[in-house]
Amino acid sequence: MAFFLQASNWGLQTFLGRCFLFQPASTCQKSLALMVHLLSRDQVKGLPFTTSSQSAVPQDLKGVHMLHKSRSGSRDGKKEKRKERSREEDKEKSLMSPFSAGAAKQRSVSQQTPTSMRLPRLSKKDDIQPPEKPLNAEEWQEWRTRLEHLTDFENVMLHQMIKYESSIDVAKSLMADVVLRNGEVKYNLLLGYLILCVQQKQVAEIFDIYDIMKLRFKTLDPGGYSLLIRGLSDTERWREAILLLKEIRKVTPPSKGNYGYCIKGALNNQDVQLALEVYHEMVAENVMPPLDVLQAFFDTCKGTQDDKLKKELLDMLLCFRENQVYPNEALMQSIKLWFESVPGEKWTGRLTSIENGWGCPVCNQVLETIELSKKEYNILKKKIMKNVMQGSDIFKKTTPQELKRFQDFMENHLPYDIVIDGLNIAGSVSRIGGYNVLFDVVSYFAQQNLRLLVLGRKHLKDFQSWKWNAMTAMQGKVDFFFTENISQDDPFLVYATLHSGNHSKFVTRDLLRDHKACLPESIQQLFFKWQRGHQLMPFSSRTKKISFAPILSYDTVVQTTGDTWHIPYDDHLVERYSYEVPRKWLCLQRK
Amino acid sequence: MSIFNMLLRNVVRRSVFPFAMKERRKNGFFLTSFYKTFPRRTLNLSSYLKDAEPNPSQKLNLDEWKNVMQSRRQEEICEPTSKCEEDSTLTAMREFVEMRRLAGRLVPENITEEELKTLMELPTKSSRLKYLKFLAKRERKINAKKAKQEKKNQEQEELLGSVEKRDTDELKNTFLKRLHSNTLENLHSWRAANAMIFGQPLVFDMVYENCMSHTELGNAVDQMMECEGFNRKSVDPFHLHYCNLSVDGPYHKGFSKRYGEAWDKLLVTVTEQCYTNLFPRDRLIYLTPDSRKIMTTFEHDKIYIIGSLVDKAGQPGTSLARAKRLNLATAKLPLDKYLRWTLGKKSLTLNQMLCILLTLKETGDWKEALQFVPQRYHDGFVDVDLLSRLNDAKF
Repeated sequence: MAFFLQASNWGLQTFLGRCFLFQPASTCQKSLALMVHLLSRDQVKGLPFTTSSQSAVPQDLKGVHMLHKSRSGSRDGKKEKRKERSREEDKEKSLMSPFSAGAAKQRSVSQQTPTSMRLPRLSKKDDIQPPEKPLNAEEWQEWRTRLEHLTDFENVMLHQMIKYESSIDVAKSLMADVVLRNGEVKYNLLLGYLILCVQQKQVAEIFDIYDIMKLRFKTLDPGGYSLLIRGLSDTERWREAILLLKEIRKVTPPSKGNYGYCIKGALNNQDVQLALEVYHEMVAENVMPPLDVLQAFFDTCKGTQDDKLKKELLDMLLCFRENQVYPNEALMQSIKLWFESVPGEKWTGRLTSIENGWGCPVCNQVLETIELSKKEYNILKKKIMKNVMQGSDIFKKTTPQELKRFQDFMENHLPYDIVIDGLNIAGSVSRIGGYNVLFDVVSYFAQQNLRLLVLGRKHLKDFQSWKWNAMTAMQGKVDFFFTENISQDDPFLVYATLHSGNHSKFVTRDLLRDHKACLPESIQQLFFKWQRGHQLMPFSSRTKKISFAPILSYDTVVQTTGDTWHIPYDDHLVERYSYEVPRKWLCLQRK
Repeated sequence: MSIFNMLLRNVVRRSVFPFAMKERRKNGFFLTSFYKTFPRRTLNLSSYLKDAEPNPSQKLNLDEWKNVMQSRRQEEICEPTSKCEEDSTLTAMREFVEMRRLAGRLVPENITEEELKTLMELPTKSSRLKYLKFLAKRERKINAKKAKQEKKNQEQEELLGSVEKRDTDELKNTFLKRLHSNTLENLHSWRAANAMIFGQPLVFDMVYENCMSHTELGNAVDQMMECEGFNRKSVDPFHLHYCNLSVDGPYHKGFSKRYGEAWDKLLVTVTEQCYTNLFPRDRLIYLTPDSRKIMTTFEHDKIYIIGSLVDKAGQPGTSLARAKRLNLATAKLPLDKYLRWTLGKKSLTLNQMLCILLTLKETGDWKEALQFVPQRYHDGFVDVDLLSRLNDAKF
């Protein structure tokens, strides 16, 4: 890469010199970007440059940046530092499963390209600071004339007050002024005022507004109801919040926030039975309860003797299991404390992280395996065929002839140990270096005496080099299958791996998210579990040695054996993506 | 209690009177309503009295507005009771819309029964809000149009008034009679009729009607109408074929609704048959942005097929799959070759496609044809001169 940049640098600079003669500077920049692109493309096509495995296409953006900034030495220094840092991360990265929390973040850091910061948009409203003291009518009139350009002065002012969390008295004086001027307060202003009251927990004011609204309007909009529910839920009139919930349901299904505040209100007042009722209603509506609501349940029910209630709480944990949801750190602490507070059962909870291995290092309990059961496996196989391969139109991803050809091919060959996504490993065709990586990967597995299948499109076959001849020598172990150029090869990869059986693994850097999206939701979880257990992801070989991320042998999910509970949770310091699973665990053990 | 009331009355009178006098007409109710009802919450008063603030009048009227609001209610409450006999869910929905409007959200001012029913049939909250937003925007557009029309009419009347004075003048001596719009229409129809006999066919594949939602289908019909209009007005029109159009299907219904009687007089070939039955296979080229083959020149002996599909949900490969199924040649426009593409999908609307093809047919110039690609999608044309100069510099 470095060589390529230098070489092109030289060419560019001479060109640059010429360019400055004819063209104004602004067009020069554009042409420069174009040039770099063209040069890099032509180089790959025509010139005998050998580049390393790094990609040329995303890099040439960087090249332009370096050119612009090459005069300032500090930039280069920073770049060096970043390189060093990413190298260090490489070492750490190689220990982590690609589906562990934070893995994607690490990958993205090492491949970071400089992005331009987006500036927040400023509007006319943004520089208005609301008054600090309550004003009288004359003073408000003054403000009005000063801010003549605002069409909706009161509303804007109220929302600026919400933004700056002004004192409630200021808002009151504004409302008094509005009444003086118009004789009434409009609904949207009342709502704005209510937001301010709820924000600052002004209980008496909330009650007043609620009474006014009840008197004035027969119904409210869901936004108003939600605010009232939120405001009323932690006061002594919390029961009315639950009535409001019923009002909302008349027109639209309540949101999880609505349910959540009602439940919290009931729990704050020790009415667990009512809270559970609302909770069940919420689950029946297919609304996923927010984590802080569940936390409230565990907090309130500490030290309970009631077996029925205990069962309810354990059911909530099992609900996590079914929906592949993981508690956050705060909820985990509440769960831990709750377990430890159950009288008569001596639970001890400890935090741990289980990296590679079979079981929990604290209690030596073997965790559930990542392998799918026979039945699940068959369901997945069938659904992949039906939803991913065929989908709504089989011609979208392949053709019936090709599918037939592939199925015949699979039947005539033994099951494979490893299926390799040739195009993904080799990168795009324009990268010569990519083929070296593919060759390395293939020979790495071939040396271990594994049966390999390399999938690719026909244009992969056309691009033959001397290394491919060497590869044909290994033909006994390696099979190739090439799809049409306009077909998608990923579904074949998944199908071939599934067809080969449970021991078979596949190699690709692709996360297969678009294929996962073709499946119905319950199957998506199965697919993800299977993917975590069977996908090998190679790391780019700067050190010229192929290494793969480890496959975890256990399933990351809430699990119990009666005497133990293992609950994975989200570390609040690590940002977890939806296709990743947490690395930290809570281990609960009964003695 | 009565002392408080006296106090309050005095204070309020003192603080409020000057403004109330100023805008008497507006706030006249204030005095009357104030005497009618006693304030409900007086608890704040006592504390303020004790504190003896330097400016008590200002503090005191902070809560006053609530009393005003509450006193107003009692008058209004009795009104809306008669309408309750309607379908209860429908009224609940109507109230929901009304309250949303009061809350300052984007909802239509008037909503018909039919629209309310459609609203209720929508399954999710977000889809309902989206529909309301759509209705509101449509209403706003219609109102703006109406206002504009009225203004125009008014201006016209004024103009007529001034013209009438000159009407007594002699008629002008002209070489031509005034060119009326139907003269032009006749010419266009003549050309279109010619194209029906001698013109190059251009096929619209109407097979996708079941892949589209209601809105998308509506958009597709609009685009097709625009296509037909633009084609008719061109110098050398295509012979348009609407193939695979099922009788009484959604497309057919959409067309007959929009065109009315004119649908039967349209100078295009509408058929239920597939284009593979009408034309030799080797002359057909399916235009799709997912194709791997890039179109280089417009060929006058080929028959181009455009899939009339509006795809807002983003399910790529639909038309390519269709071409694959029928084993047809495919091609895509050389957008990347001529334009510096910045954002947006590469699939253009039907009328843009037709404009591009028509221009290509007339001039064969890609740069001219690709003027019809919306400018927001790209950052100008690729400089062909620079390209060639670069090549010269290199080799």
